[in-house]
Amino acid sequence: MDFEVTYSEEQQRFRAEVRAWLTEHVAPDITRTPTSPEDNYRRYQQLRALGRELGAKGWLFSRAPVTYGGGGLDVDHAIILEEEIDRFDLTLPPYYDSGGRLGAASILVWGTEEQKRAFLPPIYTGAVRTWQLLTEPSAGSDLAGVRMTALRDGDHYVLNGQKIFVGSDNGADRIWLIACTDPNGRRHENVSWFMIDADLPGIEVQPMQLMGTGGEGGADSGVKNTVFFDDVRVPAFSLIGGENNGWKVASTHLELEHGAGGRIGRNRMWERLLRYCQETKRDGMPLVQHQEVRDGLADVYINGEIQRLFGLRNFWLVYSKRPRSYEGPQLSYHRKMTGLWMTGAILDAVGPAALTTDPTWGSAGGFLELQQRNGIVAVHPGGTADVQRVSMSRRIGIGRAAAEQAGRVQ
Amino acid sequence: MDLALTDSQEMLKASVRSFMAREAPKDVIVGLERAESGLVPELWQKACELGWLGMLVPEEYGGGGASLSDTAVLYEELGRGPLPGPFFSSGVLGALVLLEAGTAAQRSELLPTVARGERILTVAVTDPNASWGPHGVTCVPQLRADGFRLTGTKPFVADATSVTDIVVAARTGDAPTDVSLFLVNTRAAGVSTRRLPGFLSWHDEVALEGAPAILLGDAPDRGWAALERALLRALPVLCSYMVGGCQAVYEMSVSHSQTRVQFGVPVGKFQRVQDHIIRLVNHLDSARWTTSEALWKLDTGRPAAASVHMAKAVASEAYLEACNAAHEVHAGIGSANEYGLVAHTQMSRTVFHYLGDPRWHKRRMADALEW
Repeated sequence: MDFEVTYSEEQQRFRAEVRAWLTEHVAPDITRTPTSPEDNYRRYQQLRALGRELGAKGWLFSRAPVTYGGGGLDVDHAIILEEEIDRFDLTLPPYYDSGGRLGAASILVWGTEEQKRAFLPPIYTGAVRTWQLLTEPSAGSDLAGVRMTALRDGDHYVLNGQKIFVGSDNGADRIWLIACTDPNGRRHENVSWFMIDADLPGIEVQPMQLMGTGGEGGADSGVKNTVFFDDVRVPAFSLIGGENNGWKVASTHLELEHGAGGRIGRNRMWERLLRYCQETKRDGMPLVQHQEVRDGLADVYINGEIQRLFGLRNFWLVYSKRPRSYEGPQLSYHRKMTGLWMTGAILDAVGPAALTTDPTWGSAGGFLELQQRNGIVAVHPGGTADVQRVSMSRRIGIGRAAAEQAGRVQ
Repeated sequence: MDLALTDSQEMLKASVRSFMAREAPKDVIVGLERAESGLVPELWQKACELGWLGMLVPEEYGGGGASLSDTAVLYEELGRGPLPGPFFSSGVLGALVLLEAGTAAQRSELLPTVARGERILTVAVTDPNASWGPHGVTCVPQLRADGFRLTGTKPFVADATSVTDIVVAARTGDAPTDVSLFLVNTRAAGVSTRRLPGFLSWHDEVALEGAPAILLGDAPDRGWAALERALLRALPVLCSYMVGGCQAVYEMSVSHSQTRVQFGVPVGKFQRVQDHIIRLVNHLDSARWTTSEALWKLDTGRPAAASVHMAKAVASEAYLEACNAAHEVHAGIGSANEYGLVAHTQMSRTVFHYLGDPRWHKRRMADALEW
């Protein structure tokens, strides 16, 4: 086994090129904690501008095909890009986006050539930011039970209904969704998948008041929204993968969202937590020197390491095109449950300072307070922890003769 | 990056698995439960002929000179049994301790016999009521005209009833790590061993009454450092044995979920039952990947101490929890000795504390990370 990517001289040169380019193009204040809603929006515009510059170089979605505006790079170069942007505390793309990794991945598998040429380049070059719309008030874990309708009318479909827990701060240019195209059809055979413009007449976005309300930054979405559709007309060309075939299309992005893609990168939360415990004293002694805090931190660290190793394994499985089974939802389940468990473990180690954003009594930028809320909120999006366990059970074949196959991702 | 086994590792895995199916099927392992020794002579002989006991021993001493990752493949398969006997005690920990602590002459004399499986070793560290740290070593040797003598009792020594020689840790100085390692022949006068009764898999008592002992190395007080170096490399191989155990009880549980019918359906249809298996597989994979990474770091010369301590902590907890989950899946039949789960459950408890329990290793991990 080899747990590390080894780099050729050419790849080392590429790393130097990337690092130099990023140093020149990434504004030092781009990862600041926004001071106001206006500043939050300004920061978002900075990140989008950076995204377009990255897109022009093929570095925004570096592994996507060149034909459709991607970078066409191999996995080793993609890892170099991820590692280098990570040094700036940023991700690729540097803002919340469900277009490239999930939406475009589905179009690549299920779209027609014409659709690929129409929809993919704006995503891969950073011209658009895309939201995903799946959950409805009555269709959460039971996603196949979506009630939003998309009924054919000539060359168009007419959309009516409501989606919740959508997107981020600062709006979107495109959205993709699944909707019911055959209200009398059989379950799983009555939904279809669409990629549409976000500013069509009849679409209305309202922010939700939720317990996790940190500003948009990196992969964190910040605010979630309710989106209403009132007789929204979309061209039939927006339909991807054929009418009533949406469940199969969704299997691609659900698989990716459920952790199949894996991840390699630093555990920033851990680094900041350790630093906090080294710099903060209790009874005259740094927290990290107290045996009970040390014991608690050891468990937090180990869970983070297991998370990292599961991510590395999944990354390797996908990019070496090995058979996958339960590993995607396992990563997702572990991440969700570790995050939830950590809220208690960190509270135990740090005390009430973990609960306040106060600059004097809380942690820097309130990062611990944010974890206290987000660790709980993160249990539900992209399939609840329980849904991940159900997926794992099916893939393993617990109690069934034939194990379910993992979704297609390439 | 490549997280697959190499072709030769796959071949080794297949050959060990077929050996185990032939020589150590479930009834053999279950049948050993009350035996004084976990060593099966005919099986041991065949394993020696296959070179398993010398796999880690450098070629210059007649061994196979294999990497830790290669060796771990063997031990994962043995752990699926779980096959008892002093494989790890002698072929891994014993051999590595000799390699680290012995003089050149001692290595040349002793290691080839260990590699052939003629000399069988185990390592006795802890004295009564002690932890795994160096201050736990309290037994003091006497130096007589004809050499060293050891008197004292060492409880919880792995495989002591099966071995020919025991490496015994004894205190030779006042500083905490002033510990020396001695070689004691189990057939010498003043040495007795007995299997401790109960829910313990061949972790035995060694009683020494003026037993003749040979100092390993050419100076005293260097034993603890040698033991630490040997442990760093040996522990992940022990972890692989535990991973094999987790894998076996996982497969057992999945199979049971598909075939055991209650309320007219396979019990795996019930989400309560599914949840036990999910918990089990998460522990299995946590142990597998922390162990694999630690082995890789050691084999490639990277700093590995934190990873090794983490792997032992994770694997010890994983094996214990995996067995707990398997018992929940199996209910009554799981506690029948003949079914085969109990051998794992007992082994998981036995190795939980062996060479340091999870809390011990987590604290060592934190130290290694220099928090």
